[in-house]
Amino acid sequence: MSGAAGGTPALAAGSAFDRLNRRFGYDERSAALLILPVFAVLAAIAVFPIVYSLYTSLFDINLTRPWRRPFVGLGNYTRVFADPNFWIAVQRTTLYTVVTVTATTLLAVAVALLLNEAFPGRRLLSALVLLPWATPSVVNGLMWKWIYDPGYGLLNGLLTQLGLIDHYAVWLGDPDKTLFMIANAAIWKQMPLAAILMLVTMKAIPEDLYKAATVDGANVFQRFWHVTLPALRPGLMLVLVYETMISIRHFDLFLIMTQGGPGNASYTLSWEIYVETFRNLKFGIGAALSYILALATFSLSYLFIRALGRKLA
Amino acid sequence: MTAPALASASRIKLPRSLGRGAILALFSALLVLYVAGPVGWLVSSSLQAESEITAVPPNWVPPHPTLGNFEAIFGAGKRTVTYENRWRGDAATSRFLPSGAENLLPSLWNSFTVGVWVALLNLIVSITAAYAIAVIHFRGRQTALYAILVTRVIPDIALIVPLFLLVRNLDLINTRLSLVITYLAVTIPFTIFILISYFEQIPRDLYRAARADGCSHVQALAHVYLPLSLPALVASLMFAFLTSWNEFIFALILTQNIASQTLPIVISGFVMDFTTSFSFVNAAGVIAIVPPVVLAIVFERYIVSGLTAGAVKG
Repeated sequence: MSGAAGGTPALAAGSAFDRLNRRFGYDERSAALLILPVFAVLAAIAVFPIVYSLYTSLFDINLTRPWRRPFVGLGNYTRVFADPNFWIAVQRTTLYTVVTVTATTLLAVAVALLLNEAFPGRRLLSALVLLPWATPSVVNGLMWKWIYDPGYGLLNGLLTQLGLIDHYAVWLGDPDKTLFMIANAAIWKQMPLAAILMLVTMKAIPEDLYKAATVDGANVFQRFWHVTLPALRPGLMLVLVYETMISIRHFDLFLIMTQGGPGNASYTLSWEIYVETFRNLKFGIGAALSYILALATFSLSYLFIRALGRKLA
Repeated sequence: MTAPALASASRIKLPRSLGRGAILALFSALLVLYVAGPVGWLVSSSLQAESEITAVPPNWVPPHPTLGNFEAIFGAGKRTVTYENRWRGDAATSRFLPSGAENLLPSLWNSFTVGVWVALLNLIVSITAAYAIAVIHFRGRQTALYAILVTRVIPDIALIVPLFLLVRNLDLINTRLSLVITYLAVTIPFTIFILISYFEQIPRDLYRAARADGCSHVQALAHVYLPLSLPALVASLMFAFLTSWNEFIFALILTQNIASQTLPIVISGFVMDFTTSFSFVNAAGVIAIVPPVVLAIVFERYIVSGLTAGAVKG
């Protein structure tokens, strides 16, 4: 290894450094130094909170009586599992996640199919598609809240003017509709990234496959089913898992649009964590809930990271 | 019919015919309506007075476009808004000024400074780590990457309490610095991933030549990799700025005063205050949406290549 040429003399000065130099090559030492800043930053602001959260989840910490914080082991977890509210939150979270992920993915495939065609204005269109992605979630929330407004919103106006409803309806305030209404706002914002990921996968499909299929007499739908769809699998899996990760722990829209309501109609896991931690000040319960949500996310994102990590191998 | 030049460039997924053009035009129009419609309505509402946005049926286009709502925001710092006089923001348009309206401009500035600092620090810290993992074939590079990526698995809301305690112990509550530090935890893993994908595409012969010529790793990074990675660097800057500009929950918990609150926090305060007029809130929303949308559309090419770099190589 010609590496020593780049080593600075200052680095090789002390005897401890001498020993390190003999133990590790120039490449290893450089890599360690170059990676050190990131590890230091992440240790403080990511690893410490993750570990501290786990520690907190084992104590009965309630800030309404800060002087007493007994160790309860897995007590917070058993209390969470025995709480009917938790199961309501699981149910709401599952429904919201399934709706959001399914609709986002289907929409993304459709948009990617469109952007994969060559036509005038395609570049402008693909730039415009980034609009929802760039919209801050707070603005996304207020925008849809205004669209759904029961008194003056555009949704009521549009449906009335089209003659689809004969009087203004309540949208976010209706417990049967509210989760779907929030999901719609989330889908609008999450679709662009998913569509771009699908588009990149589509672009990688060799043109010859389509030519061969056409020669064999396959029509548009057969080409989609037999050529496009099988080749989309890696991108599809990436989008599914990524969107699931995002949706299962989504918080911003729930705070801005409904605050868990009406009643408990949008009482999801992330909202329960917020309520237990910052309204009920039960930090231990909040941390336990966080870990349950984190483990659920982790199981799913293990697939995600495997898919991403494969390219390094 | 499609022009011959275009037809030759066509990917021929759909048959070339009049029907193809019609279908593409129809779906393009639907897509434009879907992505731009809601934002268009937000902009339209922000240009209407309170009496106009509360019309039934709604005014799709402002009947008398007014910048009054924006004037109210930019002029809010000049007047003292109290509980008593906030209803009388402006008699002509019966504009309601929410308490805290004067906080919008300072929060805009906070969002901007935090975003710039996050973008710069994020890039500086991530570049060297990405180079080490992508280029130097050291033992455990795969593990190092996993360790960095896995930190993003924990939901942000789970990190809030420990981060709050950390920030409080460092006496950084209500500072923009606390936001810069915590946002780095969000942006670094993804930035490193973008940069690694890009660095790996650079021909290794360039690296070998540089090293043979006596370049150290730092020199190889500075003279070979950085000049060739401009798109990825731009994408990383944009991505970090946008993430920081849009971030909500960390700022909600870590900042409680106007010295440090960012735009999303001030706006969310208006949204959740049911006495606030929507015409005012919509104008605030338009202001918050402009910088990220302009950046996203101007740098679209970089952002798309950065977001998707290597993600779906299979």
